Amino acid sequence: MKLSPLEANSPDTDMTPIIDIVFLLLMLFMIVINFENSKAEDRTRLPKDGLAKPPEVRPEHELVLNFGYKRNRDGSKAESTPTVYFNDRDVEVGRLGIELDQERRAMEQQYGNRVIDDVTVLIRADADVPAGLVQQLVQKCQQNGFTKFLLRAMVEQK
Amino acid sequence: MKFKLHLPADKFNLPLAPMLDIALLLMMFFVLNLKLVTPQGNLDLNLPISAPNLVQRADVNLTDIKVGLHSDRNGVLTELTLGSKNLGNDDAAFDRLNREILQIIGRPGNPLTKDVEIEIDADFETQYRYVAKAISQCTGRIDAQTKQIARYVEKIRFAPPHKPKA
Repeated sequence: MKLSPLEANSPDTDMTPIIDIVFLLLMLFMIVINFENSKAEDRTRLPKDGLAKPPEVRPEHELVLNFGYKRNRDGSKAESTPTVYFNDRDVEVGRLGIELDQERRAMEQQYGNRVIDDVTVLIRADADVPAGLVQQLVQKCQQNGFTKFLLRAMVEQK
Repeated sequence: MKFKLHLPADKFNLPLAPMLDIALLLMMFFVLNLKLVTPQGNLDLNLPISAPNLVQRADVNLTDIKVGLHSDRNGVLTELTLGSKNLGNDDAAFDRLNREILQIIGRPGNPLTKDVEIEIDADFETQYRYVAKAISQCTGRIDAQTKQIARYVEKIRFAPPHKPKA
């Protein structure tokens, strides 16, 4: 008696559900991920405060000043003097006047002469920074015409 | 003569494996780069530029409030003061400051206090964390019932900066 050879069954796995889930996860992570200010986030360890509230509306014109320490990989301070991370450069507070002046001119050129009254300066200062230097930073901003200030802090959840 | 042509229906097999590989690689990239950060918020800071008004207000019967933060050379808080009153240097000192401010203004959101300014006078070295906490305690508290911010004083002013300790 002749027996016909059995046909090899090719396992046809249905990939569609796997791909669906993978793409859903991919989209989730793409939405959740935040690259913004990642470099600045590393150096400024904000103070925690229970009264700090996430902004409901972002100011139309915002100038963010990250004021902190250069840090090593382990989180320790690489330098003892804090610097302002501004336009991808480290600037000492004493030398910030020129930078702020340039920023103000650029803003005025783009949005008009009265824009300076609407600009909110968002100060993201490290918790360890001496208060005197933060005051100097505020003074430099005021000398260049900036009048609105916000201090950024971590929301303390009790 | 009839010919019946039975052509097998073409089964179009799209190779999905490479697409899945790339999607998984992308997903790994995003997973590894994901940082779960604590939410950040803002502390409102109304900084009047005008000269400090130290005159007692006849209409409000309130003077401007002075909060002092004194520290050692490392910036660690040694004394928190309200006027000439020493409130201590621990976490409870900030709670005391909050209560004292509330006593001065009477009740949160008191319209009579809208012109009152609080002057923060901190030593140069004082760590910013203490200043931020003092500002927060001066400006209000979270109402236990409504979970909303009950505002005390909105105007905060920094005293002229001190020189660093030699």
